[in-house]
Amino acid sequence: MSWRIKYLKKSPWVFHVNVGACNNCDIEVVNLLTPKFDVERFGIKLVGSPRHADALLVTGVGTRQAAIRLREVYRQTSKPCAVFLIGACACDTGIFHSGYHVEGPVDNIIKEVDPNAIIAYVPGCPPKPEAIISGVVKALSAI
Amino acid sequence: MNQEELNKKISEIKDKLIGYEQPLDNRIYLSCESENSYALNKFLFEDVPLRFVIATGIDSEDCFEILYHYAYDQTGCVITLKTFIRDRENPAVESISPFLPAAEWIEREIHDLLGIEIKNHPDMRRLILADDWPEGVYPLRKEVKK
Repeated sequence: MSWRIKYLKKSPWVFHVNVGACNNCDIEVVNLLTPKFDVERFGIKLVGSPRHADALLVTGVGTRQAAIRLREVYRQTSKPCAVFLIGACACDTGIFHSGYHVEGPVDNIIKEVDPNAIIAYVPGCPPKPEAIISGVVKALSAI
Repeated sequence: MNQEELNKKISEIKDKLIGYEQPLDNRIYLSCESENSYALNKFLFEDVPLRFVIATGIDSEDCFEILYHYAYDQTGCVITLKTFIRDRENPAVESISPFLPAAEWIEREIHDLLGIEIKNHPDMRRLILADDWPEGVYPLRKEVKK
């Protein structure tokens, strides 16, 4: 497995999942691909299917309806994969902690499928694109 | 028509209302009971005519209220019709979707979250609650805790 982990760090292809976000974090994630911040120079590409992805970018508090779908997407992502939780809502439900539709912070949802998942947290509301890049780089160099 | 003609036109239905307030020149509040809601909404939408904006559902302590908001774009006036539903055990109101298809989704949402039964609705399905949410639990009612 170690050569797979080694090449995970080189040029991770990402898949973006929104499990109940207000879309601000999604806008910041899509901003990363614009020429101003340009993560394509690192080789990071947005792919259309989780089966092609090395990393999942998850935004949003985990709602009851979306938690089922997120577990399915995580199962279909090719392992090894890293999960990045973007935003205060994904890290620990943010301001929606007592909402009627909130199933729980996203790391609990993912750990039900895979207790040894690689999870990294990027807090902020929304986190600045520079913060997201720095979070991804720090997490990948620490694996 | 300008604002005075609008005020005069709305005063035609004053006998069915239990309250009429105009705190500002471009803001009118009308109150009525749930029995007259269908006829008053039909008058406001077709005879004045006004543009339907949105509906709001409120859980007051002793009754439910549904507010229908209409806009009159020539003068920028917003007219709100407050419907009181006195029966808290089996709240019900007549649907306005037969002549106002734009209200279908907001009535589905009010039924999902507050449990107010909307009669004669053409397509009453679940709108925003999860598929496995239990029936009969209405999250936005005051007595429901998480």
